[in-house]
Amino acid sequence: MIGPARMSRRSANILARLLVVLFGLVVLTAVAFAQSLTFPALSGRVVDDANILDAATRSALSEKLAALEDKTTDQFVVVTLKSLQGQTIETYGYQLGRHWGIGQKGKNNGVLLIVAPNERKVRIEVGYGLEGTLTDALTKVIIENAITPRFRANDYAGGITRGVDDVIQVLSGDTELFKQQTAVKEALRRQQSKDEYAPLFGLFWFALLAFIVFVLLQAPRGGRRGGPRGNIWIVPFPGSAGSWSSGSSGGFSDGGFSGGGGDFGGGGSSGSW
Amino acid sequence: MSRSAIAIVRGVRLPALVLLVGLLVSGCGINTIPSYEETAKAKWSEVQNQYQRRADLIPNLVETVKGYAKQEREVLEAVTQARARATSLQIPEDVITNPEAFKKFQDAQAQLSGALGRLLAISEKYPDLKSNQNFLALQSQLEGTENRIAVARRDYIEAVRAYNTELRTFPGVIWYKLLYAGNKPMETFTVAEDVQRPPQVKF
Repeated sequence: MIGPARMSRRSANILARLLVVLFGLVVLTAVAFAQSLTFPALSGRVVDDANILDAATRSALSEKLAALEDKTTDQFVVVTLKSLQGQTIETYGYQLGRHWGIGQKGKNNGVLLIVAPNERKVRIEVGYGLEGTLTDALTKVIIENAITPRFRANDYAGGITRGVDDVIQVLSGDTELFKQQTAVKEALRRQQSKDEYAPLFGLFWFALLAFIVFVLLQAPRGGRRGGPRGNIWIVPFPGSAGSWSSGSSGGFSDGGFSGGGGDFGGGGSSGSW
Repeated sequence: MSRSAIAIVRGVRLPALVLLVGLLVSGCGINTIPSYEETAKAKWSEVQNQYQRRADLIPNLVETVKGYAKQEREVLEAVTQARARATSLQIPEDVITNPEAFKKFQDAQAQLSGALGRLLAISEKYPDLKSNQNFLALQSQLEGTENRIAVARRDYIEAVRAYNTELRTFPGVIWYKLLYAGNKPMETFTVAEDVQRPPQVKF
């Protein structure tokens, strides 16, 4: 009696959510793209905006998450939210992930554990790059087995810790990353510094065209044999200045933590309690 | 060489200069239209990707449901047929600028969404099916895929909005008239009939 009824509720929840997503698909295509969501600041690897965790849990979690990033370059952030601002957790989740840029750029290996205690929703948001490892079915199992039962017993710290441990276990199972770890970091650092050059190229072309304009302005005064005079070559080129900075812009936890520029596509799964 | 020629050249020098500076200011925009176009095409590929992923999940789902609810033949067949129709649809190269082709694609996918919704609704009646591990895994995968489809569509709509706007506003409209007159505005998703009313599920 109790068995099927409980199964029915769980399955009914899944079905209801699926139908909500289908319906949400309809609503979202009709609604104009209004970006008025606010996101909490990325203060660290554990962003406890809803204040449901104690300091000891937060620091323990931060250590585990930092160790994960050192080992595999995956970025995993735990965030608790005061409010979903009227959005579904699926809609909010990937936008938060993109806003913070969790995960390394190009690899998109970011994960977010999002808890919204006021709406009683939890979600594991998985970046593009990890969708093959941390599948929807796996995250669903983690949520249903490790997280929501403990949340129902009001044990937020326990549920989150256990969920984090399970996710790390899944992610650490990928041994290839251990080997390529150093090579990847180097390649990513080079990639990042290349991206910083782009605006300087634009400046260079503008300066070149400004130079041509300058020439046009000069020519009439020089008479018929006049050509560019010496003083024109004093126009400084941006390339000569030593401004090609190639410093890594803090994606590798040197001091503060910041997102590596990863992208999210809506992978992962949600639960409620 | 001749005096009149020099005079003409001197005469147009200033207006030419003004035009040059004017183009300079909007000059960076010469690449904007192709960039936006490429972004929109990339987002469209992602949309098609996710729809394909959903289509790939369906045979497994149908088989699992058949194992417990063979008598629901109509619904199972509806899903299989809708899937076949959606995947066998010939999608032309220019689908995103071709309104009829785009509508056909949208309609086929909407029909599949409707059939899928009905299948999941009737599976509520079978407790053995609902507790089947395979079915639960498939449900979560399907949920995830529908979410990815939603995200991909939103990204695409935004990319198309940026592109279509660039074609119509200054300075993009100048470059459009000058260089890219062959470009057409892209289609965006509209609400489809079938998906509008999600199946009512009584628990």
